[in-house]
Formats: sequence, C-alpha cells, structure tokens
Amino acid sequence: MRKNSRVTQLLLLGILLFFGSFLIVPLLVLSAGSWQSGWQTGLAQYGAVLSDKNIMLAIRNSLKISAAAALLTTGLAFGLAYTVHCTNIPGKLKKAIHLGIILPMLLPTITYGFAIIYSFGKQGLLTKLFGYELLSIYGFNGLLTGYVIYTLPPAFLLINNAFSYVDKKFIIVSQLMGDSFWRSFVNTVLRPLLGTIGSAFVLAFILCFTDFGIPASLGGTYNVIATELYQVMLGTIPDFQTGSVIALLMLVPAVFAVLFLNHLEKFNFHYEGFRSTALPVNKLRDRVCGILSLALVGVVAAVFAVMFVAPAVKNYPYDMSFTLQFIEKALASRMLLEVYENSLLVALASAAAGTILSYSAAVVNVRTGFSKQTKASLDLLAMIANTVPGMVLGLAYLLSFNGSSLKGTFTLIICCNIIHFFTTPYLMAKNSLAKLNPAWETTGELMGDTWAQTMVRVIIPNSLATIVEMFSYYFINAMVTISAIIFLVTAKTAVVTSKIKELQHFASFNEIFVLSILILMTNVAVKLLSDFWYQKLATR
Amino acid sequence: MKKVFRNLTICLLIVACLFSLAGCGGSQNQPQSAPQKVVIYTNADKEAVEAMEASLKAAGYEGKYVLQTMGTSELGGKMMAEGDKIEANLITMSSYFIDSAQKKYNMFADLTMEAKPLMQHPAFYAPILANTGAIFVNTQVIKEKNLPMPQSVKDLTKDEYKGLVSIPNIMNSSTAWLLVQSIISQYGENEGKAILHKLLENCGPHVEKSGSGPIKKVRAGEVAAGFGLRHQAVADKAAAKPIDFIDPLEGNYSLTEAVAVVKKQDAATTKLAMEMANVIVTKARADLIKFYPVALYQGETVSDANKPGNPKIFAKPLTVELLEEHQNFFKAAQ
Amino acid sequence: MLELRNVCKKFDNKIVLDNMNLEIRNGEIVSMLGPSGSGKSTLLNIILGLIPMDSGQLLFEGQDISRVSMKDRGFNIVFQDYALFPNLNAYGNIAYGLKNQTRGFSKAELEELIDFLELRPHLSKRIDQLSGGQKQRVALARTLATKPKILLLDEPLSALDGVIKETIKTRIKAIAARYNLTTIIVTHDPEEALTMSNRVLIIDQGHISQYGTPAQVIHTPANPFVEQFILKQLEIKRDNIYHLFQKCHA
Repeated sequence: MRKNSRVTQLLLLGILLFFGSFLIVPLLVLSAGSWQSGWQTGLAQYGAVLSDKNIMLAIRNSLKISAAAALLTTGLAFGLAYTVHCTNIPGKLKKAIHLGIILPMLLPTITYGFAIIYSFGKQGLLTKLFGYELLSIYGFNGLLTGYVIYTLPPAFLLINNAFSYVDKKFIIVSQLMGDSFWRSFVNTVLRPLLGTIGSAFVLAFILCFTDFGIPASLGGTYNVIATELYQVMLGTIPDFQTGSVIALLMLVPAVFAVLFLNHLEKFNFHYEGFRSTALPVNKLRDRVCGILSLALVGVVAAVFAVMFVAPAVKNYPYDMSFTLQFIEKALASRMLLEVYENSLLVALASAAAGTILSYSAAVVNVRTGFSKQTKASLDLLAMIANTVPGMVLGLAYLLSFNGSSLKGTFTLIICCNIIHFFTTPYLMAKNSLAKLNPAWETTGELMGDTWAQTMVRVIIPNSLATIVEMFSYYFINAMVTISAIIFLVTAKTAVVTSKIKELQHFASFNEIFVLSILILMTNVAVKLLSDFWYQKLATR
Repeated sequence: MKKVFRNLTICLLIVACLFSLAGCGGSQNQPQSAPQKVVIYTNADKEAVEAMEASLKAAGYEGKYVLQTMGTSELGGKMMAEGDKIEANLITMSSYFIDSAQKKYNMFADLTMEAKPLMQHPAFYAPILANTGAIFVNTQVIKEKNLPMPQSVKDLTKDEYKGLVSIPNIMNSSTAWLLVQSIISQYGENEGKAILHKLLENCGPHVEKSGSGPIKKVRAGEVAAGFGLRHQAVADKAAAKPIDFIDPLEGNYSLTEAVAVVKKQDAATTKLAMEMANVIVTKARADLIKFYPVALYQGETVSDANKPGNPKIFAKPLTVELLEEHQNFFKAAQ
Repeated sequence: MLELRNVCKKFDNKIVLDNMNLEIRNGEIVSMLGPSGSGKSTLLNIILGLIPMDSGQLLFEGQDISRVSMKDRGFNIVFQDYALFPNLNAYGNIAYGLKNQTRGFSKAELEELIDFLELRPHLSKRIDQLSGGQKQRVALARTLATKPKILLLDEPLSALDGVIKETIKTRIKAIAARYNLTTIIVTHDPEEALTMSNRVLIIDQGHISQYGTPAQVIHTPANPFVEQFILKQLEIKRDNIYHLFQKCHA
C-alpha cells in the first residue's frame, strides 16, 4: 500500500542481516556440525547417540520430569490465578500472592538448586523447622521442586492474564440457573481457559526440558539432557559432533512445543466488552483458596529465605549467630565485583540493543507497507528465536564463531541474549504499535515530516511505556540467564551466573548467595523503576 | 535494483564495522607493546586459589590478571581441544594433564625458575602443590547414628554406611583418582572392582562431580563419611567444625599440581605471565604448604602432625591414558 | 481547479473506481456522498496521494500531478478520528507542521487561526482532556496551519454529538470562505452533504451517479439510485420532523 522509504528498507535489511548472522547461520553450522565427518559417519553418529544408554536415559529422564513438573506447575498456577480472580479474599492478599509468586523470576535458576539444598537438605532451614526431611532432594524430587518454582511464575502470568478476559458475570448467571459449584466452575471458568491451561503446560514443559541451571546446581544421580550436553561439550574429552547431535535432539521437542502453542492460540476465546462484576459470596471457597495459595507463596519465599540467612551467620547451620563478615568479605572481593560489573554491562547492552532490534522489527512489521510475505518472515524469525533453547543457541555460537574475532567477546554474549530473548519484547512492541492510530505516519508526512521524523516525534513517544517494559524484560532475563551463555563466557567475560557455576566447585555458598542477592537486588530495582515509569507513562 | 544493491552495501559495511569493533575488544592475536590482562585458568581449590591470589596481590599484580577456576576435567578437556588457542596465558593444572597437552600441542613455554625442586620435572612446568587423599567423617553424624569410626576405604562398604558415604566421580574429578589408585593397588583389579561397586552402592546419590563435593556433603551433615582431599578436612578440624580425618589403611596417594605458561604471540603478556608464574612458585608456596603439607622444593619442611600417615605412590607413571583406563574401571564397577 | 480524467482503481481484481471524470473548481466545497463500499474513500485517498490509481490522470491547475508524491501535492486531510498525537498537547499538535515548512502559517497567522477557532483556552490541554468538538477544531487547525491547497475532510461530523454538528458545519463553511479553500468532504449522510456543500458528488459502486448542486440533486435526481437511496432518506426525515412540529402546534 504505502511506499516504503529508504530508511525502512535499510532497517529491514539490517534486521534480516542480524538474524542471518546470529540465528540462521549458527543453526546451519550446528546442523552441519553433526554431519561434519561425512554422510556415512554422520548417520552413524546419530545412531551412536540414539543407542547410547546414558544419553537415552537422560532424554527419557528429561521428558519424564519435565512432564511431571509441567503438570504440577499448571495445576498450582491455575489454583493461584483462580484465587486471585474468583475469590473475595482481600485485595492486599491477592497482590501479595501475585508478587510473591513472580519473585523467583528475578533470580537465576542456578541459585534455585543451592537454595533448595540449604532449605530441604538434611541440615536445611526447612528441615530444621519441621524437624525431619520433607523430601529427598538429590534426584527426582529436588529437580521437580526446582522446576516447579522456576516455571510457576510464567505459567501463573499466562493463566492470570487469560483469567482477566473471562467474563465473571457468567459465574453469577450459572449460579442463578441453579448450577452446583462444580458444574458452574467447569462451565464458566475451566472450559474458557482450557486453551490457556494447555499453553501453560507446554510452556512449563519446555522451560524444564531446556533449563541448565537447576540440574547443574542440584546434581545428584538423576541425569537430564541439559547436563548431559554440558558434560559432552566440556568434559574430559570434548566431543563437538556428539554435542551437536544432542543439541539437535534437544531442539525437537521445542519445535513441537512451539507448533503446538501456535495451534492452541486459535482455541483461546475472549469475551469482549464486559465490566468487572462482584462475585457471589462463598466463604468456604475463599478460605480454602486463600490459605492454600498463601501457603504456596510462603513455601517459595521460605526456600529463598535461606539465601539471606546462610551468608549472614557464622557457620551455617551449626553456629547461627549473626555476622556480616562473609558479606563484607564477598563485597570487598575484586573478583566478585568485576563479574557483577560484567553482568551489568551485558544486561544493559543486551537490553538497549535488544530493545532497539525488537522494536525496529515490530515497527517494520506493523507500521510499514512491506509485503505480507516480508512481514510473515519476520514473525517466522521471531518464532525460530523463541524455539531454539538457550543451550542449543549457545552451542551453535560456539561452533560458528570459535575461529572469528568475536570469540570470547562481550559482543557475542550480548548478541546471543538479544536473539534468545527476542520474541517476547517483539510481541509486546507489535501489540502496542498495532494499537496506535494508523493514520499518524500519513499525518506526519502531510505535515512535512520524513518517516524517521514521525517515528521520533510521534510513534516512539507514544509507545515509550512499552519500550520501558521491553527494556526491563531484556535486562532481567540477561541478568539471570545461564543456559544461553554457559558455552560463551570466558575468564575475561565471566558474568555472575557463570561465576556461581564456577564457585560451585568450591562449595562457596556464601559467595554464591551474596552474588544471587546482588542479582536479586539489581533486578528488583530495575523492575520497580520500570513499573513505576510504566505506570506514569501509561496513565499519561 | 540499483537501490537495493546500494542499500545492501551500506548494510554490509555497517556489519563489517560492528565486527571489527567487536574484534578490537577481544583481540589477542595481534602483538601489542603493552601487556594485556593475564588470563589464569586453574583447577585449584579455594585455599590454593586464595594463596596464589594473595601472593600475586602482594607482588603488585592485582588488577593485571583475571582468574577462572574450572573442574579438572573441564580444564583438561579445554586444553586437549584448544591447544595454544586457549584463552589462558597461565595455567595451573594436574601435572599429568600438562604433560599430555604438551606432547600433543607443544603449547607451553619453558620456565626459568629460581627455586630448586626436590624431584626432577620437565622445564615447561613447575610444581606448586601436591594433593593427598584421605577419608573424613562428620563426628556429629557418626555419634547420632552410632556408627563405628572407619579405618579403611573397605570399611565404608559396610552396610551401616548405606546412603551415608560420599565420594567424587572419576569422570569429573581427579580427586577420585586418588581413591581408585588406592583401591587398585591394595586389592588388585578384580577384588577392587567388587569393593568399588559396593562403595558406589553405599554412596547412592552422593557420587559428586566436584572433588570437594564429598567434604561439602560431610560438612552439611548430608552424609557421615566421605573421601576427598586431606587438607580440607584438616582445615575443617582446625576450625572446630565437627570434622575428623582418617588416613586409610589402603594408603594416602598424591597428585601434583603445576603451573605452566602458554606460548603466545603476544610477547608482553607472555612475559608478564612468566613473572606471575615465578611469583606463584616462590611466594605462594609458603601458604600452599600449610594447606597441602607435601614438601616440593629444597628447604621446605612439614610438621609431623600434618604429614599423611600412610603415604604411597602408584606403581605406574600417571598419564591421561592411565586415567582413562581407571575411568573405565570405575564405570565398569557401577 | 482539480480535474480527474478516466481514473480507475481495482483492489484484488474488484473494480472500486470505474473510469471517473470530475472537475472541482477553486474555492468550492464538494461533498462525496455514497454508501459504504461505494468507492468514495478510495477516491479521497487517490486525490490525497496516499494510494496510487491504476490508470487515468489527476490534474491540478492544469498540471498532471498523477505521479507527484503525497507530500509534494500540498493537499491535506483531517481524518475521521483526527489522528491527534497524544504525546503532545493541543498547541503542540497545532504547531506540529510549522517546524518543517516554509510555506505554512506565520506566527501571527497561527495566532489568528487559534482565535478564529476559539481554541485559546485549550492550548495547554492534553488530547484526552479535550471534548469531541475541541479535538475536531485542533485537528482542523493543525491541518490549516500547513496552508493546504486543497482541504480534505473524511467524515468530519460522524464522531460528534448532535448539537455540536450544526456549529461545526457552519464553521467549516466559514473556513472555506475565509481562506478561499477548495474543500472536499466525504460523508455517507445525505443531509450533511446537501447542507454543507456547493456541489454534491453521488457515488454508487465506483460510478458517478450524479454530480451537481444540492438544488439539482433534489429537483432533478438523475436516476433511481439517487431517488431511492438519497432523497428518500431525506424525505422521511423531513416528514417526521414536519409531523412532530404539526402535532405540537395542534
């Protein structure tokens, strides 16, 4: 329709080049890597991996535990969202549940394992409180706990969001029609949300399947595919070809999951144009849901409480007298501060560059006259970026850029983060840009603006709130990620999460927890700041 | 069409600029007059790292290096895969691994050391410490569970220790090799395999990837007894933690850790790395010998209390190939 | 004078404008009237330069402007929803185009326009604090400030409440007279079209049904379409109001 200016063409070209160099080419190199020793032996390699007892066991384990964790998470997340939306418990409690449950998102998953050891282990905080071991953490149960805590926030946010589109008036109508509680529940709450519940399950499954931090920190005897891949790549005898094969195997469920999620998307239906309404009184429902939800949030909080306790006592868990010496010592350490600075640098740069890229891609998609095919190809790239697990992407980079001058640079880590976390900010921007008046560019042009001027004077100022949101998403995720960067960090470019992995060798829990607290504090600050700013901009 | 080409060229130029910019940040191939930060890779434990860093700091090198610790297998894998393309300028690592990497890549420069070693070693590395294996226990747990004090590795295979023992995994940690060496020497391959099998059964989920995993588990009271590095248990006991150590009847075996400098084109940085290697050998030894009480250089003495009770040396020379052989032995016992 | 010669436009093989010929004289107010889907909006966008035509010619003051870009034609439009920029206040919107143009309003002219449109008390208000009529006037001012050679109005009254419609109608006529501005209005409401303009263009399915003064349309409808769909509506409305007043007086 509209003619595209030079600037938009350049923008599109730049975006495509970036994706070409940092997503498509590395993935091709990775798949080529699995065939590197020729067709015959390449095939034999796949055969060898598929008949390797340990690898197959790890894959089976991964599938099993991811499914179990996803099932549990989806149930819990639904319960929490139900409590927030369909009960009459006080608003403050609802807010507390909401905040408490998403807090773990601000921490790296590798911290989860250590927090679990120090909470549920034989000498753990919770074990001491209860007087006996609640569960045996090394192996299935520990991993399950970690995975559930990890996937609960995103699953909750997904279902929670869908809940706000469910018209609660139907609950009242259903009750007036004489339905029982269960029939009313099934018809007015469960059924409209089935698609979302399915999505939450698949999302949680794939997050568990591809996470590296939790199994890396918990260890134990229960081998999963993520640790197996790490072992093969960075073990006594690094085997890049087997690594590539495992990475591609890891990609398979991810591809199915994303296809499935896109399919489910079509089943979600929204009631539109309704007003919020009072809910029928049901004290029993409120009490049961309220207490269970608060208990769940309490457990999550307790698991992480140990993170603050352990480094602040003399000799955990034997001498629990308070001391600041470990924290002071850790903060005085040049090494820890250096990696913290590195992390900040990486997170800030990833957030800045990532926001620019995803925003530009969204602008090209929503607010230019490029062909449908061009726009669809951008969506496809976003979908591919979303599909590739962090470890697979990192491994692809390792294979692709090992010989280049990018090896061992912050640039490479930042590029990896930008691609890895691209999709969500891109969708945020698309969503927000699509809501802006479509005539603004024409108006700007008629007023004598160039396309770029209208962008700067009108479009960007009117989507600032979204840009802030995108930036904070990128920043927080870049701060906590480990799976995407574990193959890319070097001594000079070490970040906090990789340092935590390194400190694991020494069992230096004080330092590990102090670093985790640093990440948490930074992310809380960024989140508060961006939420505040967002509110201010959004209500303008 | 013309336009498209022009745009394409501009874009390629931008990308090229970005790449070269990035290249400047991480350039290590170009010879430069001013030395870069020396990158140190080490498999050493906390105490050793602290001792080395303290000596470097005292010699005024703070801020002139970055140090990265890794598991022995991880660092070994990197050395064997990357050769002199490795990021590190200075490496401290088990001597047998340095030997093998040198054989494969000829990647280490000869060192000029002032200190006189007690035993002969190749010119491209200098020993910095020796690790000795031992059994240790959490006395509190032993008391709670009413367990007998173990005297040998074989004792730990008894049924009452089921689920209460932790050992490192030889696939990831060379500390486990000290255990395997003692079992093979004492009992031979056949009986040894049965003993190791029973031991692994008793360990259950507590077969650790890291050499310091067992002491961590013993410290936390997760298990009653473990096998690991003797000095860690000695330090814990001295710090009044409920830890005690036992020199097993099978013997205390040792592995030597050494420092080596990677040959690089960047002469200035390599020179700086050489200086640091010297500082580590001459200045850090005073601290290191406290934690790893094995005399390596002339003039060094070790207090009797700190000497392992039952020191032994494996009959065959230690090499990566022998390690792999013993790894297979370990796997077969699982 | 604006001239359209043999203008054709297709969307996905569906003919939207079929061989249109049209002349609009300077200073004239012309309404384009037709049901939705008749092609009137497409015609507006072609004149504006937003979309290209498939074939035909567009002449302005005798010059062929068919290939001239939207920006260089020097026409301007007020969109149905005004497309005001919410990040700027009312004054920011009105003065938006002045930074770019040399041919636009001078400072004094702008001040005069602001007073003429009675916008002075609202200048520092945010867009969401303005009423519908105020928004309409801000959008008009923003567009007029660029001194457009032709003013295009897309459904200018559709978003307004009943009472304010009449004042805006008067205001648009006054503006056209004051600046001697050729004004093209798109609407689907016969009453609006016939009461506001010098000439009315009635479009049906991409064809010109009739083009003439309001009097011509009312007295000599060219065909059954004009009679059935345009005049019928007006007559029903007129009769309703007539009966209402009669009843009240009786």
